Amino acid sequence: MPRHWRCSRAFALAILFVCLPYSAAFAHCFVGARFFPATLAIDDPCVADEMSLPTVDWFKTGAIPSASEWDVSAEISKRITEDLGLSVGDIWSQIRPPGGPTAAGFGDLETTLQYQLLKDDTHEMAMLLGLIADWGGTGAINSGIGTPYSLLTPTYYFGKGFGDLPDDAGWLRAFAVTGQVGYQFPTTSYEVAQNAYIPQVLVYGGSIQYSMPYLKSEIQDYQLPDFINHLIPIVEAQFATPVANNFGNSPVTTGTINPGAIWVGSYFQVGLEAQIPVNRASGTGVGVLGQLHLYLDDMFPSTIGQPLLGGATAAPRKISF
Amino acid sequence: MRTLIAITSALFISLAATAAQAHAFLDHANPLVGSTVGTAPHELSLSFTQNLEPSFSTVEVTGPNGARIDQGKPQISGNTMRVGLKPSGPGTYHVHWHALSVDTHTTQGSFTFHVGGP
Repeated sequence: MPRHWRCSRAFALAILFVCLPYSAAFAHCFVGARFFPATLAIDDPCVADEMSLPTVDWFKTGAIPSASEWDVSAEISKRITEDLGLSVGDIWSQIRPPGGPTAAGFGDLETTLQYQLLKDDTHEMAMLLGLIADWGGTGAINSGIGTPYSLLTPTYYFGKGFGDLPDDAGWLRAFAVTGQVGYQFPTTSYEVAQNAYIPQVLVYGGSIQYSMPYLKSEIQDYQLPDFINHLIPIVEAQFATPVANNFGNSPVTTGTINPGAIWVGSYFQVGLEAQIPVNRASGTGVGVLGQLHLYLDDMFPSTIGQPLLGGATAAPRKISF
Repeated sequence: MRTLIAITSALFISLAATAAQAHAFLDHANPLVGSTVGTAPHELSLSFTQNLEPSFSTVEVTGPNGARIDQGKPQISGNTMRVGLKPSGPGTYHVHWHALSVDTHTTQGSFTFHVGGP
């Protein structure tokens, strides 16, 4: 992307932070007693003030022969109001095919506008609507990493904790699931340079997670080592299925299943997952995905950890039973 | 991405002097969450991962017969909340707490403990 473009973007983001007001702080993805961590492969079901820096992954692509790919990405998410948030992210990729030239460069700039539909404390349930936009022409088109066209993906996200099960369910109450489903369509249906149709794709995924912090504070404190009490073992899955305008392209669903764990602290979390491709078209062998994720609302509760609008007059509500 | 890294670095440098606080997680309770104790406790204590704002943090305890047995407003000192308990018999006790950390982050939770045989 042109250098002046990046500078303009930096200036815009700088203005965004300078203009932040002071206001009452609330949460990242807390829903009642449940905390949904930021997941690595898919998104969590809340708007929040947070930053993933960096997310790093390595895997063997589904190309024949397989290429080795490294990705390093960053994303910052900011609440505009209590229920409306905006994320901005970008990715740098290096693709090294066996015996071929290495391609490297930035992917298209990605923005996501999200609206919090629901947070039900009693049932530990959250719902979110989002519009993901991958802006064509902002990445390394010549390397084949960026695209000249944009992609738009309206997406629905949800999360559900099982803490509302009867007490007899015991340790099962620490389970939670999250998921998302989106429909991705390009701003052009045919790419002349590649002589190819650009498909519309159903993108979807989910996670099942077991919260050791929830087990300790809500169900039973087994006095396990502190490190264990901060862990959330998780299995994520992400898939993409071409559903329209796919003439001449592979109709195969691609995706990965990612078992791993997230360590949750007060100000940040660290996640590490294996990436297991679901078929040959998704890759070969097992890849690795890792992420450092920062809770900006906890790190900077009176500045950038606040919604841009609407939080300043929200005084804490006195609790009474 | 270099832009994002640069902005991130600038943010951390410029805001490094900001006193960081966070959500108050329940670190441990006495009696322990989910535990069984032989006799009914006279006090419940909750320790959190952050200091609490006394005016907006509270706890409710109900005894085996469903009646509230906490003795009103808890004593809060730093990250610890204590509340006296009225005498009650064996059975399952329910604890429900709300906490406001000193930087106004709210958290809540609930758990049970048992008095008498397992």
